[in-house]
Amino acid sequence: MSDGKVTLAAGGRRPGIRGKMPIFATAGPVSFWMIIFVMLPLIYVFVISFMTRTQYGGIEYSFTFDNYKEILNPLYLKVIWKSLKLAFLTTVICLVVGYPLAYWIASKPSKLAAKLLMLVMIPYWTSSLVRLFSINLLVMPNGLLNAFLLKLHLISEPLDILYSDGVVMLGLLVAMLPFSVLPLYSSIEKMDKSLIEASKDLGANAVTTFRKVTIPQTMPGIVGCTLLVFIPSLGMYYVPEMLGGGKVMLVGTLVKNQFLVTKNWPFGASLAILLILITLAMLWLYTRIGKLDDLEVC
Amino acid sequence: MAEKQKLSKRLRRKRLGKRLGNVYAVLVYAFIYIPIAIMVLFSFNSQKHNYYFESFTTEWYVKLFTHSDLWEYLVNSLIVAIAATAISIVIGVLGAMGLKRFEFKLKQVISNSLYIPIVIPEVVLGISLLMLFEMAHLPLGLGAMILAHATFCIPFVVIIMRGRMSGMDMSIEEASQDLGANRVTTFFRITLPLLIPGIMSSAFMSFTLSIDDVIISNFVSGPYSTTLPIKILSMVKVGLKPDVNALTTVMVAVLVLGILINSVVQALWKKRASTNIKTYF
Amino acid sequence: MKRAKKLIAVALIGVMALAFTACGGGSSNDNGEVNIYMWSEYISSDVISAFEEETGITVNMSYMSTSEEAAAKITSGGGSEYDIVMPCDADMTGLIEGGYLEEMNLDNIPNWENLGDAYKNREFDPDNKYAMPYLMNYVYVVYNKETCPVEITKYEDLLDPQLKGQIASVTGQRNLFPIALVALGYDPNSTDEGEIGEAYEWLQKLMPNIAGLDSDSAETMLINGAASVGFFFDGQAARAFEEMGTDKLAVAKLTDPIQLGVDEMVIPKDAKNKENAEKFLNYILDADNCAANLQGMMEEYGSYYTCPNSAAVEKMPTEYKEAPAIDIPQNMKDNYFLQLDVGDAAKVYDSYWTKLMSEEQ
Repeated sequence: MSDGKVTLAAGGRRPGIRGKMPIFATAGPVSFWMIIFVMLPLIYVFVISFMTRTQYGGIEYSFTFDNYKEILNPLYLKVIWKSLKLAFLTTVICLVVGYPLAYWIASKPSKLAAKLLMLVMIPYWTSSLVRLFSINLLVMPNGLLNAFLLKLHLISEPLDILYSDGVVMLGLLVAMLPFSVLPLYSSIEKMDKSLIEASKDLGANAVTTFRKVTIPQTMPGIVGCTLLVFIPSLGMYYVPEMLGGGKVMLVGTLVKNQFLVTKNWPFGASLAILLILITLAMLWLYTRIGKLDDLEVC
Repeated sequence: MAEKQKLSKRLRRKRLGKRLGNVYAVLVYAFIYIPIAIMVLFSFNSQKHNYYFESFTTEWYVKLFTHSDLWEYLVNSLIVAIAATAISIVIGVLGAMGLKRFEFKLKQVISNSLYIPIVIPEVVLGISLLMLFEMAHLPLGLGAMILAHATFCIPFVVIIMRGRMSGMDMSIEEASQDLGANRVTTFFRITLPLLIPGIMSSAFMSFTLSIDDVIISNFVSGPYSTTLPIKILSMVKVGLKPDVNALTTVMVAVLVLGILINSVVQALWKKRASTNIKTYF
Repeated sequence: MKRAKKLIAVALIGVMALAFTACGGGSSNDNGEVNIYMWSEYISSDVISAFEEETGITVNMSYMSTSEEAAAKITSGGGSEYDIVMPCDADMTGLIEGGYLEEMNLDNIPNWENLGDAYKNREFDPDNKYAMPYLMNYVYVVYNKETCPVEITKYEDLLDPQLKGQIASVTGQRNLFPIALVALGYDPNSTDEGEIGEAYEWLQKLMPNIAGLDSDSAETMLINGAASVGFFFDGQAARAFEEMGTDKLAVAKLTDPIQLGVDEMVIPKDAKNKENAEKFLNYILDADNCAANLQGMMEEYGSYYTCPNSAAVEKMPTEYKEAPAIDIPQNMKDNYFLQLDVGDAAKVYDSYWTKLMSEEQ
């Protein structure tokens, strides 16, 4: 914790215990919380990642690097790579679908906009399991979608789309969309609209204006959207498992299996540590490339 | 003349853009609400296990409102979500200010640790929190769930608030202090009101994350703490019954109706206000 | 400024106190309570009320999502919050060896005698000290008589190319590897790496025939016509029979051994209400009460489960005894295998399973 070893920023604030008070009052609780509930468990996970599984699935406290060597097996790298690809694809689709919607909402008066945002979020206050079941029921061979299309004579026999990649993608989009709309909305709303008018007055067409003015202005939202969608998608396994017919292996499932099915906690822990490192490295790269001093979201 | 033509062309294009925008928005909303529509439809299904739609019935609603323990689980879910959101907002808003404005030794460590709960696989966070609570002899249950939920909500609040604060004009705070207000007064009178929109969207996010969480909840739940997602996940094994659909339908209906009524009332209020003004002049 | 800090501190403490007290809402009944952690809708609510009335003990239910998660909760020490937990038999060896379970006092549970002989003195629990079987599941094959193109009498038949994309199956390495091992003539709980490798190759051939893997609701695919063959638990088969009837659906007469999974009732170490837990176990193992439970679940949830309590089964009406999912040929029932702890081979199973699941189908 920030116990006593506080150093103040240069900026004319008084040093001494009275000067440190605001730091304790503001950063204190969050530091306390992060250390107790995040760092301690993380240290625990880190420690057991160097241990060994006992015969009955317990943890034997003897140091080894074997778990990390095991990860280098191309099999596990393949699983991680596949998950990264899916998370990337989800992010791109959410960005492409979410941006125009966020823009449209931001063009409304703020009170109406707040309500429209609420409408985006409300479905997420219901159980995601029930929603996923609904999607499955919709695309069953004798489900509603096929019944509807057959009735309209748009198709002559039922579509075989149950457990297809398209449905998985659809499910991911439905699951992640609000996480893209929220940050995008707030950065679009904060944007200086007069710049767009100015650009148009200066004769730039819509595409150029969008590329040269709107996108750079809303960059924080785009970054936020990418983070909030990409990271959770990476660990998610519910949607692909339920909508994909259970025939896929993503890194989320892999980690879950280690902890619950195989009861190989040390290997699961080392996978989790690797996953955390990969994501943090990407975050770091992302902020470097985007030249952001801080990750600004929403 | 040419100028005028150009202007009207732009206007027309703008109108077209607006119309296209509306069509697009309606499509996306429809898309988001398709699963909800199916869910509502199946809440009127006479079939016990919701395998396909059999025939129309309202028996599940009767059951829901006469004898159903689902309400108890919904209340548990709401307790956890509201408490976790409240804790996350208090700690997250203060934390964002502290991390934004001050320098201290562990700042970088704390800043980076914020990303861990977002990045870490849920199963791992759930199990390690379970181990932590067990070591600390903390009873499992709603309390433990609130702590766990706050742990994954706080980072979102801090990140959202930090972003909001970076766009804020700080000179107004300094002005307040120059005028003799102390830090606390300044915080409650100046800073907090400016942060309200950010706080609203953080609260939104926290509540949404918490109310639908099931993996972490499952690990730290104890006796007397079944939440709605936990119950639903356990029911999946024997087949989800339409009463769950009925409950979610009621929830969605209450929320959507709330928004609509609010809008209508506001519109009427405005109308009356404007007619009042007219009568005065 | 001091006041500000105090205020914030008070606010924080207040919120946290709220968080802690929120969990202490226990009920105060004279004879105490019993906390049970099990599947949702896996016990008749009438039986629970009858138990509460008879003994004055309050039953408090919590619901688990997978038996693995229940086992993980016990091993982390969280089990002591409950008095009865329901893991499956495959997890028992690890739980007993690890010392995570409380020894039962059989004098308090005389009704355990009602259990069928096969469920007494089992290998992992020779003195019946740690686990009482509650209900159980066979995993077998059902098929749609109208749409299934082949006759299935052994697991090898599932590989028939005519079944491409037609099988709705349970998932999980320890559910699928055993049938491959059986088909190849090996021990279903083999720990031999070479044999598991061959089983993996067998499953590779099976994968194109799988319509979907889903341990919870695979029967949905059969009922909706997305699959013509089902490989799943008898409880799921019972629900499929309810919808499709015996005209359309039938149990395949397998000559290969089938898997039997038993849901066990155990008392976790340091459980607070051990005596009440034993009272509950004795109550539910009583032949009449157990029969009432089976009957209650048929009426309340439309579910039929196989029961190890032979005294209770005898008291059941023909509607239960002759239910198509329960009433499978005796030679199939006798020819079963259990899922056993495979020790270090679990890692081998896991890596082959990961390999199987990460291949493009």
